[in-house]
Amino acid sequence: MIRAGLALIRALIWAWVLFNVGMVVWVLLNSLKSSREIFDNPAGLPAIWMWENFATAWSDSGLGAAAINSVVLTLVSVVLIMALSIPAAYAVARLGGRSSGPVATFFAVGMSIPFQAFAVPMVLIGAGLSRFMIDWVTGVWDTRITVTLFYVVLSLPFSIFVLIGYFRSLPGDVEEAAALDGASPFRTFLQIMVPLAKPGITTVAVLNALSLWNETVIVLMLVPDQSAQTLNVALLNFYSNMQYTSNWGGLFAGVVIVVLPMIATYLWFGRRIVSGMTQGIGK
Amino acid sequence: MTVTVSDTALRAPSADRRAKVSRGALQGERRRLYLPMLLPALIAYLLFFVLPSLFGVVLSFAEWSGLGTELSWVGFSNYVSMAGSELFRASFVQTLVLTLVVGLALFLIAGASMIVLRTARGSAFIRAAVFLPFMISPIAVGLAVSFLFNPDGLINTVLGALGLSELRQPWLAPELIFNVIMAGVVWSAAGFYVVLVMSAVDGIPPSYYEVARIEGASELQQFRYVTLPLTRDMLAIAASLWAIAGIKTFEIVIAFVGTAGTPPPEARTLAVEQYLRVTGGREGGLAQLGEAAAIGIVMTMITAVLIVLSRRIQRRERLELA
Repeated sequence: MIRAGLALIRALIWAWVLFNVGMVVWVLLNSLKSSREIFDNPAGLPAIWMWENFATAWSDSGLGAAAINSVVLTLVSVVLIMALSIPAAYAVARLGGRSSGPVATFFAVGMSIPFQAFAVPMVLIGAGLSRFMIDWVTGVWDTRITVTLFYVVLSLPFSIFVLIGYFRSLPGDVEEAAALDGASPFRTFLQIMVPLAKPGITTVAVLNALSLWNETVIVLMLVPDQSAQTLNVALLNFYSNMQYTSNWGGLFAGVVIVVLPMIATYLWFGRRIVSGMTQGIGK
Repeated sequence: MTVTVSDTALRAPSADRRAKVSRGALQGERRRLYLPMLLPALIAYLLFFVLPSLFGVVLSFAEWSGLGTELSWVGFSNYVSMAGSELFRASFVQTLVLTLVVGLALFLIAGASMIVLRTARGSAFIRAAVFLPFMISPIAVGLAVSFLFNPDGLINTVLGALGLSELRQPWLAPELIFNVIMAGVVWSAAGFYVVLVMSAVDGIPPSYYEVARIEGASELQQFRYVTLPLTRDMLAIAASLWAIAGIKTFEIVIAFVGTAGTPPPEARTLAVEQYLRVTGGREGGLAQLGEAAAIGIVMTMITAVLIVLSRRIQRRERLELA
């Protein structure tokens, strides 16, 4: 009886695995079918391989421009996040006195506040900021800069929290040895501790890149101009126009364009992404 | 020999003192580095995250459509009118239902995996494959799932081909759409929680299971008496993580309708309801920032309550695994 139950669970888990692999294959195949064929022949191989789906999605539906927006926003934000959070985490983990515990908690609290508590002030700051810059400072403003600003601050709590854990786990003698050799504390940080923490730093950077690549709601709320929106939002717009275009093959090509970089990153970093997500949280 | 001993004995204290002095100076230098390294992040966090969030609380007591329009203080009336609003109550209940139902499903899936995955063949591959949907953009997941359940989609086609035509459903009709959304959320999130709890299971020394086996414990008993007690802390963490994530469910709902439509009231979560109020909705209505802020506060409070509840799963005493 129990045996059979366990075998059933095992079978269900394998069915789940197969379903996931099947979904990836199904989306890939659909992206290469004509829109008619997606409905007429939902499960088979494409009769004609429609590689041009990708071309139309990329150029006609504006996913190409959106892809560039996504890449630039993600990269710039991740660089800024790391530039702010690495020194801060190191300071809290290794340099601080009595205040470092409360400071760590203060950052950690940010992780449990739902974005929605922040959404309305964010929209107001965004509007105020662009009005202020246009009226008084530069004369022009790009809402993508506002998006970057909020991407960075919203990612700080998680990044700092996980990096504090990494810096704390490094041995203290290395710092002392460096100091005895005459290295200043800042040099010790830059040339010794940062390289030592590199696995952790890479993991945090990749996790941030993944979550920002998938981010949608901030762009939806802050960027009205379609040419400045990111891939996920462009995909939603594409879907909204489906009643006029019926370009289903193109829509699936769009899904592939959004998803493929993620799957590639996952295959590349694999285990480290998974263990970074789970360990950083478990501590 | 004696010379060297006395030599070092004589020298040791002074060298020691020198080290102490330089360590003191070093400590001072390190202290001076503390604030310059911490402040940029701390100020950015304070200025653009913490203070705005607090401002959100203040705004929930106002009626406002944004910069350039008139702001009036209305006290609790945003909360009162929400409590009376059919739409808000529906989205409130749906958010709770989603968080609890999906949470229960995730718990069962994670528990079942804990029993069999520890010893399963191909465990690493299974974990990698089930984790995959969690990495994928919820918009893409929503689009794919909604297409699967489309009236002419694969699910209905397969049901027809299997001769189960009577099971074919208009899955995306208002009565069923929320169930389909919940299934989509389970699919995209489950792998993460499986991998999370399995990371705790991996930390249990194999000898515990050996002893249990020798004592004649079945696999279920091993789960009940070894795995479960030793992973309670991780289950508590997983539960609060899910509470934080589940309350915020947004993208997958939006992906079912695209930006051109508003989701039917039967499918809306609080986050969707708030989004419609922030943007003024599809019909280009006026933004209702006060109400939107109030929704954010309500969501924060639900999250806080759920986190406190999930803490209760945690064991009281700390456990050290050998």
